[in-house]
Amino acid sequence: MGRASQIVYGALGVVLFLAGWEVIGQYRLAGLTWPPLSTVIEFLGTSSRWPLFGRALASTMSSAATGFLIGVSLGLVLALGVHLLPRLRPGTDRLAAMVNAIPAIALGPILIVTFDRAGTPAALAAIHVFFLVYVAVSSGLTAAQRAQQDLLTVLGAKRTMRLKLLEAPAALPAFASSLKVALSASILGAILGEWFGAPRGLGVIILNAMENFQIPLLWSAVLLAAGISLALFGLATWLERAVHRRFR
Amino acid sequence: MSPPSLKSAIELVGVSKDYRLDRSTSVKALDGIDLAIGEGEFVALIGPSGCGKSTILRLLASLEEPSAGTVKVAGGPPAALAAAHRLGVAFQDHALLPWLPVARNVALPFQVAGRAVDQAKVADLLRLVGLTGFEAARPSQLSGGMRQRASIARSLVLDPEVLLLDEPFGALDAVTRRHMNIELQRIWQERGTTTLLVTHSVDEALFLADRVVVMSKRPGRILAIHPVPFARPRLPDIMRAEEFHHLADRLTLALEPESRAA
Repeated sequence: MGRASQIVYGALGVVLFLAGWEVIGQYRLAGLTWPPLSTVIEFLGTSSRWPLFGRALASTMSSAATGFLIGVSLGLVLALGVHLLPRLRPGTDRLAAMVNAIPAIALGPILIVTFDRAGTPAALAAIHVFFLVYVAVSSGLTAAQRAQQDLLTVLGAKRTMRLKLLEAPAALPAFASSLKVALSASILGAILGEWFGAPRGLGVIILNAMENFQIPLLWSAVLLAAGISLALFGLATWLERAVHRRFR
Repeated sequence: MSPPSLKSAIELVGVSKDYRLDRSTSVKALDGIDLAIGEGEFVALIGPSGCGKSTILRLLASLEEPSAGTVKVAGGPPAALAAAHRLGVAFQDHALLPWLPVARNVALPFQVAGRAVDQAKVADLLRLVGLTGFEAARPSQLSGGMRQRASIARSLVLDPEVLLLDEPFGALDAVTRRHMNIELQRIWQERGTTTLLVTHSVDEALFLADRVVVMSKRPGRILAIHPVPFARPRLPDIMRAEEFHHLADRLTLALEPESRAA
């Protein structure tokens, strides 16, 4: 499929989706809780509500960014650590898998006690991001071809030299791919984390709107979260492509 | 031609190599290999595929350990020579790093050794293998032959004591291959590096080597060692000489002892 027709088909899909949303809302095909898209956009577009959304968005984004940075650093450091000290790998792998397997709802109380309510969104985002980056980088570091590994052995490369010249560059495509997924995961983590009693944020709006049956407010917050997520995803996809072109 | 008078750069004594397949079965890849290669000598190793030619090379490159016997390169274990950055190799797989431009791939051994890159030397070798003008190209932008030539330039950049070549021209077309053979002879004559070349091609072995070692099918044993009498420098013309054909026929026969019996 050509690039142009790909774009056309993609755009067509988006238009169909949005039109479907509008139609279902207008005719109440899915009941009262499904507002038409136009109502949600009108709600979002009312300037008196912008400060509310602005504060919530800033809070969620700052939690997500903090969690993202902590998770990426932790994932990178641990992946490099187990790569250089393979004895630590089985234990670290299992710990990472276990932390990831525990449902957020079960982790919530522990995080609240440990990081308090304001810190929980960032902590949950960090956990999600850490796992994605750790798994991708620790397998990416072994992605170099056998012949390239042999070459460095024959050239007499020391451990750190091998890491710097071969294994780290070979891991970059996997790292870039994990960043792409981790960006959306950090926003998801932050919003989930806000459900455990954070003072403000998109997650708080979503929760309150749901409990108070403020349907347009609920959908506005969701639309905002999805929009930001998609925008970041697009940006990261572009970065990923650039890295893949260069390092593969 | 035979090396006893020379100091040995490569020495294999009673070398065997078994590969374990599972708990009860193993395959004998090499059996009782004795081979000495003198300093500055060019030896070619030929044999049917799967005869363990490449295994000998991997033993010498410190990539494998022998199951029995001793392997010495430059008087010590292969790993010592590798650790001293004095071993040059070019594999069948060029193993160029896709993210580095050609010049930096060729300069890689300097970086691995933690030395400053000698740019003049890199440029010199790129000229030698005909890649001048492609310094900034990435491996993916080169043809197969050019990549192979880049990997040969890389194998020579640190002036290695011993050069190991595993079918480096295997993927090239006949014309490029012959051209590369002529170039390799010139490089070798200029430097006098002890060289072991693993190849499928009888012609290539005869054109380049001082001695040709013929190996048997698995388990790999040395069937015969033929000195090559042609004076150097050898011109491509010798491939048309009668004596060349005669030797080529003998080597081809030695490669297939079954067909002689038939």
